[in-house]
Amino acid sequence: MPIISLENVKKTYYLGKVEVEAVKGVSFCIEKGDFISIAGPSGSGKTTILNMIGLIDKPTSGEVIIDDKPTSKLSDRELTKMRHQVLGFIFQSFNLIPVLNVWENIEFPLLIGETRIAPQEKKEWIDHLIEEVGLTEWKKHKPNELSGGQRQRVAIARALVTRPYIVLADEPTANLDSKTGEQIIELMKKINSELDTTFIFSTHDAKIVSIADHIIRLKDGEVIENVRKGEPQPAECR
Amino acid sequence: MKTHVTIALRNLTRQKKRTALLAIAIAFSVMIVTVIYGLTSAISVNIAENFSDILGGHIFITGSEKHGTSKEISRISNDQALRDALKASGINYSYVSSYSSTFATIIFEGKTTSLLINGINIKENENFRKRLSLKKGDWESILTTPNALIVPEKVAQTLNVEIGDVVIAKIETVYGQNNVGEFRIAGINYNADLVSQLSSYTHTAHLNEILGLLPGEYQTFAVRLPSLKETDAAAMKYYDVLKNYVQVFDRKTEANGAPMTGFQALLRSQKKESWEGVKYRLFTINEQLAQIQQFVSAADTIGTTVLIILFLITMVGINNTFRMIMYERIKEIGTMRAIGYQQKDVKRLFLLEAFFLGMIGMLAGFLLAGILMAIVSSINFGMENEFFILLRNGHITFNLQFAKIATIFIIVSILTLLAVSLPARKAAKLSPAQALGTEK
Repeated sequence: MPIISLENVKKTYYLGKVEVEAVKGVSFCIEKGDFISIAGPSGSGKTTILNMIGLIDKPTSGEVIIDDKPTSKLSDRELTKMRHQVLGFIFQSFNLIPVLNVWENIEFPLLIGETRIAPQEKKEWIDHLIEEVGLTEWKKHKPNELSGGQRQRVAIARALVTRPYIVLADEPTANLDSKTGEQIIELMKKINSELDTTFIFSTHDAKIVSIADHIIRLKDGEVIENVRKGEPQPAECR
Repeated sequence: MKTHVTIALRNLTRQKKRTALLAIAIAFSVMIVTVIYGLTSAISVNIAENFSDILGGHIFITGSEKHGTSKEISRISNDQALRDALKASGINYSYVSSYSSTFATIIFEGKTTSLLINGINIKENENFRKRLSLKKGDWESILTTPNALIVPEKVAQTLNVEIGDVVIAKIETVYGQNNVGEFRIAGINYNADLVSQLSSYTHTAHLNEILGLLPGEYQTFAVRLPSLKETDAAAMKYYDVLKNYVQVFDRKTEANGAPMTGFQALLRSQKKESWEGVKYRLFTINEQLAQIQQFVSAADTIGTTVLIILFLITMVGINNTFRMIMYERIKEIGTMRAIGYQQKDVKRLFLLEAFFLGMIGMLAGFLLAGILMAIVSSINFGMENEFFILLRNGHITFNLQFAKIATIFIIVSILTLLAVSLPARKAAKLSPAQALGTEK
């Protein structure tokens, strides 16, 4: 059973009066525990697809099914709740809350609504994540006191704190130098195998794409390649 | 909730200068209005206190005598029942005194003016001498001149009289006959309000003689209480007991009466009545100075209007700033929404920030008002000035009631939240994709 299914998903924008078809009827499945890269050049629709999987944008037509649940008819409140409990986000520009320190930024998702983390477990879990991303020395620091790589590590810990099934990362290495970028992807890969969390990241960096074990390649809003490592056939929904 | 509060408070420190400017704008409005409220309230108390010092009481009783169809005579010949009732009422009072008063037409070298002449026991009433501030003349000559008259400055100007001039007063005696009397101008006092401008003072004995009262008779029995605050409750208690001793006029105002002061209503209703013997009317300094209360209510209304106008201007600034803040933090809002912040949480964050801003502004405003009031009230303006009646022992005083502070708090809180509610709503309604700027 796939954890995410996209069924003929289309997304159309209007730039003034001009209609722009960003995603043209895309269908694919993602299995639980996948470490998947959505690759393609700028304007190929990577971010739009990630946003629709992340329930922060709605398809013009088609259906996004997450954890066996169709999402097109859900209210804003239900979508927000699902984002909070099922999904984790890592952004290109880190998007940390500037007035909170490292520990508070990671804690933040646990303070809004219900989560799978028991209150007594919270502190230990946050400390474990901080240790995992190698920021124990920096936990009292504010985001503006950290380097880009450190900020992205905080974002990874924040994305994992609610123990989501899926973590979405939109070009997580775009604002980092290549060495730090590789370290971040390796960290994500390590957590993926340790926690069995599904990681979906978009990138146009061929070196990083090669680390993924499932690659979906896009061009002009369409899937041009959908393969799993070690499988000669295109990946299909199981 | 703790996190929302923490973020809201820390957000305020992000742009310290901007927060400070907004807080100063709020503080300024709050300071002005707090001072206005404190001043108006104190003025009303000071005027009442000063008049009760001059007239020697907080509660007053006048006697009206009527026999058959004869005209009403305003006098108290025997006050024993009044004293007994006072004792029986158990009211805690400082002392009792008596005086007479009448309206008169004063004539001097072809000029005339109307005036209330109060016959006071000037020699024994030390408070009167302390409170009435003389611009010209001295107490020694007033005490030694049997027909001395102290007139307000304005009357002295109208009549063009100086100390030592003799004026003629046309007076109606208590029996309704016209009479004239001679008075020597021995003092000219400062006048600051309407009541002082129309009141003059002489020795009781001289006025009683012209009014046709016998020795020992007078017109008003005054009870001085330890404090003005006790006036209404004490008057009620005294009145309830007095009813059992003597005939008294009803203190209730006319049910169908047009808006008027309690004292006017009292007099109007009593004029229609018919009785035999002496009937007493009891009134208080508050009823007599009802017009001052009206002035205070008007000043309070002006204070509230000023608060609202000042704050409406401030609201425009707050509204604009929070719209700016929304655009500055649009990505942050998008991130929070993506992570799981509901629309109401975004709105709450904005409102909390505005609430804390309002609180900081208000606290600063109250503090500044406190400092300003402390400085102003420490200045001694002396008693010899035109505004002595508004002051207490030469000082401007402030009387800030909790209800007034609560009014300011509620108005400022509501208006601040209103000013921010639109940007907060707009921020909450942003779709996460739109806010993250990733739609295009």
